[in-house]
Amino acid sequence: MSTNLAVSTQNLGRVYRAKKREAGSGKEIVALHGVDLEIHQGELFGLLGPNGAGKTTLIKILTTLLAPTSGEARVAGTDVAKNPWEVRRHINMVSGGESSGYGLLTVEENLWLFSQFYGLDWKTARERIREMLKIVGMEDRAKTKIYHLSTGMRQKMNFARGFITDPEIIFLDEPTLGLDVQTSRVLRDFVKNWVRVRKNKTLLLTTHYMQEADELCDRVAIIDRGKILACDTPSNLKRSLNQSSVFHLKVDSLPQPDSQFQGLKGIQSFAHHQHNGLLELSFIVETENALMPILASIERSKGNLISLEKRQPTLEDVFINLVGRGLSEEP
Amino acid sequence: MIFRKRVELFLRTVIGRAYPRLIGLQRERSWLIFDTLLPLLQMSAFVFVYRAMQAPPEYTGFVVLGGAMTAYWLNVLWSMATQLHWEKENGNLALFIMAPTSRMAILLGMALGGIVATSFRAAAVVLVGIFIFGAHFSAERIPELIGIFLLTLIALYGMGMLFSSLFLLYGREAWHMSLLLQEPIYLLSGFYFPVRSLGYWTAMGASIVPITLGLDAMRQLLFPRMMQQIKFLDVRIELLVLAVLGLVFLFLAQRSLSYMERLACQEGRLTVRGQ
Amino acid sequence: MATNQRAVENLRSLRMAAWLGWQIESNWTDPFLFAIYSVIKPIAGALILVFMYMVVAKGGLSNPLFPMIFVGNAFYIYVAMVLMGVSFAVVDDRERYGMLKYMYTAPLNIYFYLLGRGGAKTLIATVSVLITLAFGALLFNLPIDIASIDWLLLVTGLVLGLLSLAFLGIFLGGVALITARHGQFTGEAVAGALYMLCGAVFPIDVLPGLLQAISYILPLTYWIETMRRALLGSGSSQILSQLSNLELVGVLGAFSVGVVILSVLFFRWAEHRAKEKGLIDMQTNY
Repeated sequence: MSTNLAVSTQNLGRVYRAKKREAGSGKEIVALHGVDLEIHQGELFGLLGPNGAGKTTLIKILTTLLAPTSGEARVAGTDVAKNPWEVRRHINMVSGGESSGYGLLTVEENLWLFSQFYGLDWKTARERIREMLKIVGMEDRAKTKIYHLSTGMRQKMNFARGFITDPEIIFLDEPTLGLDVQTSRVLRDFVKNWVRVRKNKTLLLTTHYMQEADELCDRVAIIDRGKILACDTPSNLKRSLNQSSVFHLKVDSLPQPDSQFQGLKGIQSFAHHQHNGLLELSFIVETENALMPILASIERSKGNLISLEKRQPTLEDVFINLVGRGLSEEP
Repeated sequence: MIFRKRVELFLRTVIGRAYPRLIGLQRERSWLIFDTLLPLLQMSAFVFVYRAMQAPPEYTGFVVLGGAMTAYWLNVLWSMATQLHWEKENGNLALFIMAPTSRMAILLGMALGGIVATSFRAAAVVLVGIFIFGAHFSAERIPELIGIFLLTLIALYGMGMLFSSLFLLYGREAWHMSLLLQEPIYLLSGFYFPVRSLGYWTAMGASIVPITLGLDAMRQLLFPRMMQQIKFLDVRIELLVLAVLGLVFLFLAQRSLSYMERLACQEGRLTVRGQ
Repeated sequence: MATNQRAVENLRSLRMAAWLGWQIESNWTDPFLFAIYSVIKPIAGALILVFMYMVVAKGGLSNPLFPMIFVGNAFYIYVAMVLMGVSFAVVDDRERYGMLKYMYTAPLNIYFYLLGRGGAKTLIATVSVLITLAFGALLFNLPIDIASIDWLLLVTGLVLGLLSLAFLGIFLGGVALITARHGQFTGEAVAGALYMLCGAVFPIDVLPGLLQAISYILPLTYWIETMRRALLGSGSSQILSQLSNLELVGVLGAFSVGVVILSVLFFRWAEHRAKEKGLIDMQTNY
């Protein structure tokens, strides 16, 4: 195994078994299956997948919170299952929607408390807390008790908590979940800068926002139903669709969109979802000639075409091409 | 990691986790009512029971001492044993586990913060006992009394740390187990009467809870004349057993914490909420 | 809104909360362990008093005060359980399950919801009270004769007593809305304090003047005395013996109505304050 790998997994798997008293007792749920990943030091790596794809399970294993049921995972060169203590010296994590902290403590007290678990001396801790609160725009909230914070504020505080220990490897699990556009932008800029400016810092980001993965990540792995389906730079992933054409259509309604286009020639992948009262259809087709039968089929089923757009492939299209449905659709 | 660094990290963690407990006392003063005044009234009920029975005045002292130790027992049950369960529900447990620090230091921080906070309540109980109920104590063997008291606390909070680690895995089970341990231990450890009344072997069995021997020894030191007939074991033996219990509980807590953490990791229960 | 619709919503709140309360109380372990758990706690509580009598009282368990104290203690099981069942739902939903804010945004009646949540504990308490009384009758020859029980007095007193307890629980739910979660539960702490003030385990006659005065304005004092009279034929207090059964129940009823009114008013105020200060979804772990 290469020495400059920050994270590596080999054939990693995790199966959950329902407890005796729970519904479906003894039933197994495969959350991760045969995951092979290599993330290099200094890399900003993205894990893109829909809800329930296995992203959080993978993060939990890598942060020593969950034991794998098969395979091996190494973080900072150390096996997470065999020597979690060593791994913990190199990492930190921030999860979206996290509610950690002590309600009766202020923002800076909470951050100080967690810094003590990493052995930071009080002076350094204070400096870093001040610096991070400035970055997330919460300098004026340092003395606020955290049960008075809004969800977004709390999320920003947790974001700061992850970075004040200056970890070598940080895991961000949906870090911008529920944040407003402007705050998300600030945090994304900070993340990008953190990896670029500080040599050998590694960041693993999980997200189901494709723009976030596209904008931030050096490389992206697409994960679905516990399996890694593809792993490359965002541009290479999109380039895999260069030979194809991507069409985006909006129609008022169709009676059976799932089955309607089955059997039509030239369709590589197809996904649909409802948005603002309209049905949005995404087609990846081998040649543009495949479009005509699609339009004819819509007309036959009395659907009104609202718009038609040919566009550059996005990571979502890559996902659709690999999985056969969109990121926002239920598996 | 070099030894000095490890000690420093341990101490920082202890101080860090004790901090919310101490600051909570100052920030949310309603504990004065709920954790001190009201339990004080409950303890008073047992004083009045003895008065209704026209019991000797020493029994008021027995109840007062039991009332003071009740504060620590409740603190161990509700702020130690079930605490990791609350930390899990709040999302803090994952951060504790992920941090490169000793879990024992985290539990010790909780315990020290809890001891300081609970001591206010215990002191209030004793003061009320002395000034309102006129409880009389013998003050001849104070150094031994302090020694017994401290050893009892070490063993008791060691037990709390053990419970805490055992309950790491569980949700509401931990909650109910703590509820279950409340009254039966009041009975078996002799919070309101000398434990010898339960019979020698019952008292022996109950001695696994450090408060049993701690209370008996402290009563022997504070009420020497009355306890002569109803003492359980010699104070020196009780002192020795408490010291052993303290070491055993701390050792077991440390081992069980590692084991339970590993088990919770395997079963994926470290981050399960709303259990 | 139509009265009918409101009644349907109230009933739904009560039913749903009672079901939820039962799930929370009972499904944490298998039924066997749950049964043991439900028996051990009350019996241990009763045995504390038994041993106190055995060690100290003249005549031990034959002391005439013992049956009074045992019955008072047995019925007192309701107090901690009902108070905690109703009031702790606020803390539990707020800090453990994070659901309180959703309860407030749902079309349910919060009073019925909290009363429903206390239902499961009330049921468990009823079983515990019966077990404790049976335990006392069989092992300690408690003079309870089923043929001579005053059933009308028992049922009327029990209904009024549980009504006061449930609404005292609502009052404490209001307190919980505006205070932090402490190690000791509000419900248990208040139950502990009332244990002394209502003379559950001794005649209120032995209380000093001021505490006796407080005792007179507590419905629980009259409730416990009613339960003693219904089961044993007489009460423990000389002072309360001046009241006939009817007068005792009358006073209990009047105080119960007072508790209901006071609790609802206080809860409304606490709710208002919690909303004003943004405490509905606070997390106060420390």
